[in-house]
Amino acid sequence: MSPFTLLFVMALFSFAIHRLVLLKSLSIIVLAISLVLVYLGYATPLAGFATSEAISFFEAVVLLVVGAFILSEDDVITITQTLFIAAASFLLLESTTLISFILSFEVMSILSFVLVSNITSIKEAEGAIKMFIAGSIATAVLFFGVTLYLWSTQSLDTPLIVNVDSFGILGIWFMLGALFYKMTIVPMHTWSADSYAQVRPLYAALLSGVVKTVVFVATFKFFSPFILATDVFSTPIFIVLAVITMSLGNILALFQKNVTRILAYSSIAHAGYMLLGFVAVRSSYASVGVLYMAVAYIFMQSAVFILIDKLSRGVGDIKLEDLHGLVKKDKWSALFLSVQLFSLAGIPLLAGFLAKAVMVYAVVDAGYIIVALITLLNSALSVAYYAWIIKHIYFEENASDYTLEKLSFSSSATQVILLLGTLYFGVFASVVFSLTL
Amino acid sequence: MSALVTVFFPLVFSLVLYLATQKTQYARYIVLVIFLGLFAESIELYTQLPKEGYLLLGSFFEVSRFDFSLVFAVDTLSVIMLLLTSILLILVTLSSWHIPKQAAYFSLLLFFSGAIFGVFMSTNLLWFFIFWELTLIPMYFLVGIWGAEGRVYAAVKFFLYTHVASMLILLAFFLLYKQSGTFDMTLIKESVLVTPAFIWWLLFVGFAVKMPLFPFHTWLPDAHVQAPAPVSVLLAGVLLKMGAYAMIRMVLLMLPHQSQKYGWVLLVLGVVSLVYAALMALYETHLKKMVAYSSISHMGLVAIAMATLSYDGLSAALYEMIGHAFIIAPLFLIAGFFHQKTGSWQMEDMGGIMQRAPYISTVFIIAGLGALGFPATMGFVGEVSVLISSIESYGLWLIVVAFVSMLSASYIIWTFRRVLYGSMSSVVRSSDFSISKMEFFALIVFSLFIIVFGIYPQVIFSLINDALSGYTFLGGRV
Repeated sequence: MSPFTLLFVMALFSFAIHRLVLLKSLSIIVLAISLVLVYLGYATPLAGFATSEAISFFEAVVLLVVGAFILSEDDVITITQTLFIAAASFLLLESTTLISFILSFEVMSILSFVLVSNITSIKEAEGAIKMFIAGSIATAVLFFGVTLYLWSTQSLDTPLIVNVDSFGILGIWFMLGALFYKMTIVPMHTWSADSYAQVRPLYAALLSGVVKTVVFVATFKFFSPFILATDVFSTPIFIVLAVITMSLGNILALFQKNVTRILAYSSIAHAGYMLLGFVAVRSSYASVGVLYMAVAYIFMQSAVFILIDKLSRGVGDIKLEDLHGLVKKDKWSALFLSVQLFSLAGIPLLAGFLAKAVMVYAVVDAGYIIVALITLLNSALSVAYYAWIIKHIYFEENASDYTLEKLSFSSSATQVILLLGTLYFGVFASVVFSLTL
Repeated sequence: MSALVTVFFPLVFSLVLYLATQKTQYARYIVLVIFLGLFAESIELYTQLPKEGYLLLGSFFEVSRFDFSLVFAVDTLSVIMLLLTSILLILVTLSSWHIPKQAAYFSLLLFFSGAIFGVFMSTNLLWFFIFWELTLIPMYFLVGIWGAEGRVYAAVKFFLYTHVASMLILLAFFLLYKQSGTFDMTLIKESVLVTPAFIWWLLFVGFAVKMPLFPFHTWLPDAHVQAPAPVSVLLAGVLLKMGAYAMIRMVLLMLPHQSQKYGWVLLVLGVVSLVYAALMALYETHLKKMVAYSSISHMGLVAIAMATLSYDGLSAALYEMIGHAFIIAPLFLIAGFFHQKTGSWQMEDMGGIMQRAPYISTVFIIAGLGALGFPATMGFVGEVSVLISSIESYGLWLIVVAFVSMLSASYIIWTFRRVLYGSMSSVVRSSDFSISKMEFFALIVFSLFIIVFGIYPQVIFSLINDALSGYTFLGGRV
């Protein structure tokens, strides 16, 4: 049995289970079994899906993070949706033909719309609707691109054909443009800051932590042969997009007063860093860079958003001042939050540093030294707002009136798992380096 | 394996220490014992050193396709830095014996010790960078939590400023790796590099910020003034030395031809730092800021000595680095002590402290005389050797160094006049100048070092000779 099948069946079956404890423990068991199946190398038993060592490894990371999610989630419906998203991630990561890729991608989009449609306030509705509209446009653009490509090649059930005529190339670029919506690349990013900041932070954790990285890895795996074949033409485009995305994300993050909003913009900036993998596609380190960035990012971004969700009881509207004196109220959440923020900032011995370092080295290796310099300076700029959040946690004497929730035991367990991931991949790089997407 | 423990045990154990001693006062004893252990470890490393070259301590975390293995290897130069660092760590622990929030403070100090030992022990450039950056984290919290009124601004500015500089260093390391195929600093040869000049500039600017040299120094007065006194000692005694060490090792010794070509930049910035900071110190009425500028001025001397690129010059630079650490430390500590007792930083609010606290004032005078280069102190030996070596290499115009020494004499002696002597202010009259035994002991040790190594500098010079014997020097003039 393949891990996808198992997860999908479990997700369907979970509709019938209404007892939280039962559902939680059953899901964790299923995730554990899937982990073993992933380790044994089982792929989805459908035409157009195949797995590789790197994909299996990344799937295992996704399973770990999803498991950590479910561990501290107390809403039955959200657990079901998380299971569906995990199953869809497997489909997307394993897809090898165009038809399987676009179908899995659409499944993923629809699942994320369903996820955010669990609305309790007007603020969440705004975020959800923005995401839905942007997502619909992305779908339209994607299918337009597919049409052009299909017209040129008459082939859907093969991997992407590299040598296509100009219509085919146009089609592929339309497809990439549509994917950029989900990857929050400037100028297709406008929905994401509002959505990530205004929907429930837990959903933002799933969307920006899991869904975005999965789409990134799958897109890189699927499109990199094409980008490599046309790199004279495509690299300048990716350089411009990557530089604008990371700079705009970082600069806008500097001006935010709201923690979730800072994290939303930092998520956009990280999309820029990840796009460097497409810039450096000539280098043999590009795929390691993308994989490392995805692994590091999925741990740190999910951890931060989940923590914000728990601290604010799902509201997510935490201003910087509300964090004053957090270290006195709850030193463990202060520790978890600051370590993950340091990782996002790219401070060494944490996964975020190595991911950025490998990515920048790939860019240097491909010969774009100025781009590498811009990236490094961007990363230094980003320290300004991460260190600023940490300043509010540790250096302010007077505690705020805002009552932050204490971490429950299960939430702490979630954070410990994610923290261990961040620490492990900050020191032990050999696993990732031995893999190629 | 023991090298791995030396570096990672403090990093990991710091969290345990914090959790275990939160409500108690034991952290300081444990940390003191660990630092004594680090000192013993440094001495043991010294005894094991081979005549020339590196003592390999092990290689860890190997990765396919990328030179990510953490190689620990030390030579005499690194052991000198380790000895200096561990001595300072012990004395800093003693001088912060009664600091508030003990557990957190000493855990951060412990974390810092692991990172700084990593900097001096690893020869893999990427890991060197990792530890280099890691020292920022404890410093950020130490300045930000225990600092004075403007601590938050100072901490964030320090973190950002030095982090930006580090990014240039990282880019240079990546270029070195791309062009030479290895991150091992002992194997990189300048001749194989494609763009050595570009790399030289990146590294130079990156390390000049840490040293700091004139246009890149603005983080230092803020950080040093706002930090609590023992942390200022660490900043001046260890962090600045880290910059100077990296400048010697990665700029002068790794890229000698480029350094010869651009040595004048180092010289000019050194002279400008020396003069500018001395003038600023003369102008300053804020006691600790005066000490901070005097610190920058002395690092200017170090830079001038480095710029000679000669054997004599580098030994002078290394001696001055050590001397600077021992001289500036008691000045910072006593400045902090006076502020704690009088509640003011301004020199005009003090005056007549000599009558109230004669012993501490004597230590202040000894350290001050060291700073102005009085004979029989470390400052004299340092300044004279810098002066001689720089005139040897660049000609007689460097007599300017001697003139700046007169400037230092004026601000130091004027400080004595304003702070220690003169009419006793009401604040001084009403404050209590008692000092704890531990803090006083640390001050005594510092002043002994200043005098003993000033009269008998051969001990340090013989160490330095061992450190430099393996290298060939090109000399500064093209």
